[in-house]
Amino acid sequence: MRSKHHIFFITLLLTTSAFCQIENLKWQKADLSYEKPNKFRERTYSFKSDNAGELLKKSFVNTYWFFISDVDGDNCAFRPSCSSFFIDATEETNIFQATLMFSDRLVRDTNPIKINNYPRDKSNHYYDPANNYTLNSEEINYLPPTFIVDDE
Amino acid sequence: MRKILLIIFLVQLTIFPQSTSFDFHSPQKIKLFADYLFCEKDYLRAIEEYEMIRNQFVIDTIEFKVMLGYSNLGLSKNSNKIFSDFNIESKLYPDAYLVSMKNELLIDSKPLHYSEFSSFTSSQFESYVRLLNISALYGDEQSITKNNFLTLYSKEDQNTLSKLYDYKFDPPYKSPAWAGIFSAIIPGSGKMYVGEWGDGITGFLLTGLFAFLAYDNFKADHDTRAWIFTGIGAFFYAGNIYGSISAAQIFNAKINFEFSNGLKLFLENKNYFIPDYDFCK
Repeated sequence: MRSKHHIFFITLLLTTSAFCQIENLKWQKADLSYEKPNKFRERTYSFKSDNAGELLKKSFVNTYWFFISDVDGDNCAFRPSCSSFFIDATEETNIFQATLMFSDRLVRDTNPIKINNYPRDKSNHYYDPANNYTLNSEEINYLPPTFIVDDE
Repeated sequence: MRKILLIIFLVQLTIFPQSTSFDFHSPQKIKLFADYLFCEKDYLRAIEEYEMIRNQFVIDTIEFKVMLGYSNLGLSKNSNKIFSDFNIESKLYPDAYLVSMKNELLIDSKPLHYSEFSSFTSSQFESYVRLLNISALYGDEQSITKNNFLTLYSKEDQNTLSKLYDYKFDPPYKSPAWAGIFSAIIPGSGKMYVGEWGDGITGFLLTGLFAFLAYDNFKADHDTRAWIFTGIGAFFYAGNIYGSISAAQIFNAKINFEFSNGLKLFLENKNYFIPDYDFCK
């Protein structure tokens, strides 16, 4: 009777351990990364351009990146960051208007009391796209400060 | 004896669930469950259950509940789709008519052109007039005076609607031109004019600082430095004028947003257009 019990328990243990092995794939080391994706560093410091306006824009942006943005780090409170805002502004308007928009953005960035003025994106930066400042009221997409923008 | 009782108990336990005498999925049971979900305000699941039996029961109450459920979920188009097939002879038709009016307002944001329904009760007629009144806010013409507009609503609603009425017919817009002119005279004042005090003061300080540095360096005959500071000062001065104009435009967009969003929220949250029903009492 005792030996029967032994055989039963041994079989049970063997089956348990054998089945567990099947699951070993499930417990393998996974390639996970908990780093936040940082688009901030995705920059091409190239002067390659098709026309004089483009070259002027590239020169301005590269200078700003090299002397200010890179030294300061990812500390712009806004998204898009000030340099990206300038690039977006040149694409939506012209170099002259984009410079004025950029100047206004710098003032707004310097203002320390800007809480509750802008909606935020998921990384908790103030969301402030260039299309709101082109002086074309049709393009303004007003979002209340309580709004969370999903710009992934 | 104990063992026998236990076995009988266990056998019964296994047999009952298998029994076909309990049809949990009969249309009546589904309706009861759907009614329960509806009263619990679980409209999405209630509609799912009602949809399963809509072909078997042609009951206007179910149609109306589905319509009301969709409306409460904010799915106004689906709700009005149900209304298009609603039986005009039904007692619930006038109420469904009011729900469809509310849906129409939320879908199109235009003045309504619904005619009065002949069998409206006095309270239904009141709701009908209130909805028509509110729809006038979506039009361009001021067809009703503010006092006449507000008399139909409760005091609490009058506060909200009074603000919305003003936003529509007398919006507190800021002039982009004046904002630009103010900032041209005193840097930052245009931003203060549109309520952006922090940006205005920052703009004033930055422009003022570089203007002073330029002046001071010119005075000390440091021409190169003076011209650099003049350039930076001019950069902020011009940007501030531009920024004041765009800030006024954004302020006006905010007024428009607050009007349309406020009216939408008012319509969604106020259910008094639709009378109380004894469905869940």
